[in-house]
Amino acid sequence: MATEIVMPRLGWTMEEGVLVEWIKHDGDMVQPGDIVFTVESDKALNEIESFEGGILRIPPDSPPPGSKILVGGLLAYLVQPDELAPFEKATQTSSPVPRSASSEETSVVGAQHASPAGITSSTTRNGNMPTISPRARRVAHELGVDWTAIEGSGRTGRIVERDVRAFVAQQPAVSPVAVSPAVTAINISPLAHRVADELSVDLGKLAAAMPGKRIERADVERFAAQAAQPIAPSITQPAAQGMRAPIPNVRRIIADRMATSAHTAAPVTLTTEVDATELVQLRKQLKAQAGNQVVPAYTDLLAKLVAHTLAEHPMLNARFDGDDIVQSEAVHIGLAVDTERGLLVPVIRDAQAKSIRQIAQTSADLAERARTGKLKPDELQGSTFSITNLGMYEIDAFTPIINLPECAILGVGRIVPKQVVIDADAERVAIRHMLFLSLTFDHRLVDGAPAARFLQRIKQFIEQPYLWLIN
Amino acid sequence: MTRELTYIAAGREGLAEEMAKDPTIFVVGEGIGARGGNFNTTQGLYELYGPMRLRDTPIVERGFVGMCAGAAMTGTRPIVDFMFVDFILDSVGEIVNQIAKMQYMSSGRLKMPIVLRGAIGVGGSSATHHSGTYFPLWVSTPGLRVVVPTTPYDVKGLLKTAIRSDDPVMFLEHKLLYNLKGPVPEEEYTIPFGQAAIVREGTQATVVAIGSMVRRSLEACDVLAKEGISIEVIDPRTLSPLDINTILESVHKTGRLLVIDETAAPCGIGGEIAAQVMDKGFDDLDAPVKRLNGVFTPTPYSPALDTAIVPNAKTIEQAIRDLLAE
Repeated sequence: MATEIVMPRLGWTMEEGVLVEWIKHDGDMVQPGDIVFTVESDKALNEIESFEGGILRIPPDSPPPGSKILVGGLLAYLVQPDELAPFEKATQTSSPVPRSASSEETSVVGAQHASPAGITSSTTRNGNMPTISPRARRVAHELGVDWTAIEGSGRTGRIVERDVRAFVAQQPAVSPVAVSPAVTAINISPLAHRVADELSVDLGKLAAAMPGKRIERADVERFAAQAAQPIAPSITQPAAQGMRAPIPNVRRIIADRMATSAHTAAPVTLTTEVDATELVQLRKQLKAQAGNQVVPAYTDLLAKLVAHTLAEHPMLNARFDGDDIVQSEAVHIGLAVDTERGLLVPVIRDAQAKSIRQIAQTSADLAERARTGKLKPDELQGSTFSITNLGMYEIDAFTPIINLPECAILGVGRIVPKQVVIDADAERVAIRHMLFLSLTFDHRLVDGAPAARFLQRIKQFIEQPYLWLIN
Repeated sequence: MTRELTYIAAGREGLAEEMAKDPTIFVVGEGIGARGGNFNTTQGLYELYGPMRLRDTPIVERGFVGMCAGAAMTGTRPIVDFMFVDFILDSVGEIVNQIAKMQYMSSGRLKMPIVLRGAIGVGGSSATHHSGTYFPLWVSTPGLRVVVPTTPYDVKGLLKTAIRSDDPVMFLEHKLLYNLKGPVPEEEYTIPFGQAAIVREGTQATVVAIGSMVRRSLEACDVLAKEGISIEVIDPRTLSPLDINTILESVHKTGRLLVIDETAAPCGIGGEIAAQVMDKGFDDLDAPVKRLNGVFTPTPYSPALDTAIVPNAKTIEQAIRDLLAE
């Protein structure tokens, strides 16, 4: 009984993922708990472990590493030692044995340390398996078609023979690239074939560009020369030849989230200048006492302080949920981390209940793993408030974009010594460590005055850190 | 040479030819002598062969059927003409318990060359005592051959085979077909049992039609053909033995099957064919096997209701459309 390995769902919103690489290879023995492949999804690189054992069999037409695959998409099978994989059966038998829908278990593969979302991905697909007539199933097997993705046109949605044949008929037309592995089916001279190999020409694309014609050497060379040209050459500015590449997964997700936030929220940014001298002093003391322990960064101190303030101002810790506004008691702080792959926002859970040291340890660990791409999907979800710090780039104030569905995000600028007026009447000035805070909030959820009071309270806590002690 | 003959004339011609050749053949029934049979099945034969070979009987089915069973055992070839096949039921004990079993019980030492013929089916306000087919009864009885000819050509060829058969044959003629005209060759021919006729070739669905349903199915298919719908129609001609292979080959081609029988559905030939196709041709089926049957009711006398309880060209057309939509 072959077990299907499919693209797992690694987060509630995940619809597709990129198969990054096979850790196990075709023919390898897989033990339960072994990492079988990696998936880039929802900003994270995930190692996918098998819950089942068996021999890994990757069909020849399985999507290659690097391809984007819908959740539930078939990647491979686990078979028992003396068992043929389904794709081998389909090619071996002339009168194929019909595949019984119930004889195949689906997807016992999930994310390592599976989140609740990951577990749902391992439920079987049999529950909503499409129905198919016996004849259509036979024809699908004869034609080597995976019928599970076909939409049936029978009275009850049943897949009937015409659906399978229509599916097969439209395959080459919809996706010429898909036929490229079947190079033998392309009408090409042997010389042109060799030249195409040498020039790395995709014969599928070339054949699609000249349907019904025999491909000869000159065609291959011309195609290769065209392919070497920039796709949108600039006539007036030859120097503007840049790089063109598909949008990476992380960038696409960031783009979607940012655009959604910009189009749906009603963002207002408040800025205020804060005297952070006491906070600097506090950090100095903590640093001196740290020993081997992690020294809390300013962001960590601010995370704790924000969590504290949110307890007093829960409307800033709220989100829309359908027709309701949900105020979360727990404070999960999202920390914006810059990585080579783009912006990631790992989450410090229950910041209100963690000590500063715990927050420091957690954030150091999360930031490190964000940079190495080792975060798990659930570590990137569920924040209720975010903090973004651009101080290290000598930025003072800015207008952060709200990380939906959160209500607000706090932008932290650099801490810089300035000469400030301490007492105007006495005409007294002093050198103080000053800091700009930029709070962007969603005016749909909260009005300007309460948001301003929240920011003011943070300012107060930064200027007089001992006030925290009271609560 | 081929001429047009009516169904009844073609059958009578086959009977006359066989009687001329074989003096052991005789006919028994009510009004089949000088009268020539209620449906003219023996018209003119009394003058040729006299009362010894065209034996009128009183209304006592069990008596004369039992008598014919004994005659068949002694080496003659009786033909029992029941007029309406419904009255065969009065002799079921003789047929099922003796005629059908005798060869088996005698280890083949006794033959049972007897033909039991009669008019079947709903039509002409014959009411419930004159309208039955009783296919399920005969088809489920081992030892009986069951023949349902639907054309003049078939009735002659099959009746000759029936008369020459050493097995008992239930020969069932639909009363609405008696006046149907069709080509019948003058030359000698017979039609073997167990050989279905593909009466119309098609690709999108297979219709197996029994008895009078064959003609009605062809009418429905003519209408559908105008829309480019291509239906194959099979007439099994004999229900036992049943030529399931021809049906399976057709279903292999079309993927869809509708069995039409004016007999009510329960335990009928439609269910039997459906089960066999499901068993042997499952992977050819693109849709559930469908049946279209007469209503499960005694046949009403009212002319309006009499025609309403059996499938007609309109309801057959709709059933085919439904099957194609599955």
